[in-house]
Amino acid sequence: MKARTILRTTASALALVLAATVLCGVAYPAAVTGVAQALFPWQANGSIIEVDGVAYGSDLVGQPFQDERHLWGRLTDASASLISGEDGQPALWYQSAALSPASDEFAARTAERVAEVRAAHPDQGDRPVPSDLVTASGSGFDPHISPAAAEYQVGRIAAATGYSEDDVRAVIDACTEQPLLGVLGEPRVNVLRVNLMLDGLL
Amino acid sequence: MSADVTAALLEGAAEVALTVALAVPLSAYLVKVMEGRPTAAARVLGPVERGACRLVGADPDDDMGWRRFLMAAVALTVVGVALLFVLLMLQGVLPLNPQGVPGLPADTALNLAVSFATNTDWQPVAGEVALSPLSQALGLAVQNFLSPAVGIAVAFALMRGLTSCGGEVGNCFVDVIRAVLYVLLPLALVLSLVGVAQGIPQTLGGYQAVQLLEPVAVDAQGDMVDADDPTAVGEVDQAVVPVGPQASQVAVKQLGTNGGGFDGANSASALENPTPLTNLLEGVAILLIPLALVLCLGRMASDRRQGRALLAAVLVLLGVALAVIVAAEAAATPQLSQDGAVYVGSGDQSAGNMEGKETRIGVGASAVWTALTTAAASGSTNAALEGLTPIGSLVPLVLMGLGEVVGGGAGTGLCGLVGFAVLTVFIASLMVGRTPEYLGKKIGPAQMRAAVVMVTAPCLVVLAGAAALCLAPGGAAAVGQPGALGFSELLYAAVSAGANNGSSLGGLAADAPLVNYVLAAEMLAGRLIPVAAALALAGGLAAREPAPAGPGTLSTASPLFVFLLLVIIVLVGALTLLPAAALGPVAAAVGGQAL
Repeated sequence: MKARTILRTTASALALVLAATVLCGVAYPAAVTGVAQALFPWQANGSIIEVDGVAYGSDLVGQPFQDERHLWGRLTDASASLISGEDGQPALWYQSAALSPASDEFAARTAERVAEVRAAHPDQGDRPVPSDLVTASGSGFDPHISPAAAEYQVGRIAAATGYSEDDVRAVIDACTEQPLLGVLGEPRVNVLRVNLMLDGLL
Repeated sequence: MSADVTAALLEGAAEVALTVALAVPLSAYLVKVMEGRPTAAARVLGPVERGACRLVGADPDDDMGWRRFLMAAVALTVVGVALLFVLLMLQGVLPLNPQGVPGLPADTALNLAVSFATNTDWQPVAGEVALSPLSQALGLAVQNFLSPAVGIAVAFALMRGLTSCGGEVGNCFVDVIRAVLYVLLPLALVLSLVGVAQGIPQTLGGYQAVQLLEPVAVDAQGDMVDADDPTAVGEVDQAVVPVGPQASQVAVKQLGTNGGGFDGANSASALENPTPLTNLLEGVAILLIPLALVLCLGRMASDRRQGRALLAAVLVLLGVALAVIVAAEAAATPQLSQDGAVYVGSGDQSAGNMEGKETRIGVGASAVWTALTTAAASGSTNAALEGLTPIGSLVPLVLMGLGEVVGGGAGTGLCGLVGFAVLTVFIASLMVGRTPEYLGKKIGPAQMRAAVVMVTAPCLVVLAGAAALCLAPGGAAAVGQPGALGFSELLYAAVSAGANNGSSLGGLAADAPLVNYVLAAEMLAGRLIPVAAALALAGGLAAREPAPAGPGTLSTASPLFVFLLLVIIVLVGALTLLPAAALGPVAAAVGGQAL
C-alpha cells in the first residue's frame, strides 16, 4: 500500500471525525437541550424539588435516612469525597453498595442489617423484613422503596412523629406510584417526598 | 414455575417481540439509505450528506475494495482514539468544566479512549465524577455515534461482498456518513426527547446543589458513617445532583450498542432511566439496530428467508439466556433470605434477589435487561451486576463469551453471525461431500481462513486477556473478593473487554494502570481483528461470481441449518468458556450455595 494512500485516508478520517464532532458533539446535544429546556424545563434540569426557594433534592435521587421520624430507603455507599458541591463545599454522592449475594460478606452485612431494622421496629416483632430494607440498590441512590417496605415502617414513624398510623399511610399513599398500565414496572414509594411531607415541607 | 417468573418471562418476550416488530421496517430503511436509494430522508438531508462527503473527500461511486475499506475503518478508530485521548488528558484546562475536574492520568485516558472508539464503553471511572461535560459531549458522545457507524459500514461491506455481482464492497467514509445522518441521529433525537419528557436531565449548566433533609456524618476520608460512630469527624449537609447533557447521550448509548452512561451507575441511575417506560424503550433500543442488520442480510440477498433464519438462531439463544437468568434471579440466595428473617416473596414488592436492583425496575425487568445488554454488545446496565446470583452472572458471561453473535454490536454482531454461518456451511458441506457455498458464493480456502479468524479471534483475545490479568503482578490484587467470586470478576472484565461489551462486575478496582492497559489492548484486538477478517471475507466473496442454486445446494434458510448453526455456536462457546467458567461462577454457585 502506498504511503500516499495511507496519508490521504488518515486525512479523510480526521476530517470525518471533526465533522462528526460538530454535528454529533455540538449541534445534536444543543438541539436536544434547546427543545428540552423549552418544553420540559423541570425534568431537563434534574427534577429538583424546591420549597420556598430551597432545593431539597431531586425526585430521581435518593438520600440516606436514619432518623426514626423518617421513612428509610435502600442501602447505599455514600461519600463526600466523590464530587464537590457549591463553592467547593463537601457534598454527598453515591455508589452502589451491591455485593455478591452468595458471599460471606453479604451474609454478614444482611444479618447485621436485619438485627438493626428489627431493633428499630419492635412493633413488627418477628415478622420477616421486606427485602428492599436490607439490600443495596443498583445505583446507590434509588429514590424509591417498595410499598411492603414502607408499610413495615408505619408503626415506628407514627410512634416517633405523633401522627396516627392512618395519617402516615395516607402520606405514603400520596407518594406511591403504580406500575404503568398495571403491568410495566413495580409499585414504588418515593422516599424523599414522603419525608418532606412528614416534615410538613411539602 | 412461579407467577413472578412467568410474568418476567412474558415481559421479556414482549420486549423482544416489540424490538423485532420495529427491526423489520428499520431493516428496509437501512438497506435503502446505505445503498443510496431515494428516500424521503434523503430528500431532506441529502445536501448535508453531499456536503459531508465533499468535506471528507469521499465519493459514493468510489468503491474502495476491501483493503482500502479496512484502512479507512482502522484510520477512523485510530484518529478517534488519539483525539479522545488528548481531550481527556487536557479536560482540566479546557472550558465547560464547571466542577473543575482534573485531566485523567494517561492509563485511564487511554483505556477510556480505546473503550469508546471500539464501541466497548468499558468505564474505569464514573463519568459524573471524573469527566467534564465537554469531555462527555465532544468526546464520548461523538464516539458513541462514530463507532457503531463504523460497525454498520463494515456489516454492509460484508453483505455487499456476499451478494454483489460486480465485486463491490462500497465506500467506508460514505457508509459512516450515511449511518450517522440517516439512522443514528434521527433515532437518537426521538429517543432523547422521550427520555427528557420522562425525566432524564438535559442541560449545559453545572451540577445542582441541594440541601440534605438529614445531615450525614462522615469520617476522615469523607465516607458516610453512623452519627454515633467514633470515626466521625464532621457533618455534610448538602448533596449534588449531577445533571448535564444526559438525555442526548443516553439515547445514542443505547441505539449504538455503546453502553457507556453519563453516570457511573449507568441506566440503574434514575437520572438515566427514570421510569418503567424509559426502561422498556431503552431496552428495545439496545437490540434494535443489531436485529435490523440481521434482517438486512436477507433483503440484500433478495431472499428474506436468509435473514429470518439467522434471526431465528439469535432468538433461540436469547430465549434460553432470558429463561435462565430470570429463573436464577427470582430465587433469593440463603445469604439474603437469612432463614426466613428477610421477606423475599411477592406482594407489594418485587420477589427474589433485590440486591443491586432498583425498586422501580424490579428483579424480573433487571434480569431481562442484563440478558439483552450482553446479547447485544452494549454493556449498558440497569442493575449493579455485582448483585447477581452466581448462576445469574453466568448468563451475561456466556452471552458475551459466545462472541458478538446473539445480536452483538451494531454491525460487528452481523459479521460474527456470518462468520459462524460460513463455518457451518463448510462443515455441513464436508459431511455430504459438496463444495461449500453461502448465498450462491463459493467458499474458497482464503474465505474459510477469514471465517475461522472471525470465529476464534474473540475467544483467543478473551482468554489471553484473562490469563494476563491473573498472571500480571497486581492483577489479582485488583479484585474485590477472595476465591471463586474474585476470579469471576477478573474473568468477567476480560470477557467484557474482549467482546467489546463494556459491562462490569463492580467489585473489580477497574482504574488500576495494569488493568487499564491489558483491557485497552484487548478491546483494540477484539474490535479490529474480527473487522479485518470480515472485510477480507467480503473482498474474497465479492470477487466471485454468484452461482445459481442447484438441486444439491445446501439450504441456508431451513430449520435444519438453523439447528446446525446453533450447535456450532454453542460448541465453540462452550469449548472457550467452560473451563474458565467452572473456576469462577460455577464454583461459586456450587460452593457458596451449598446447604
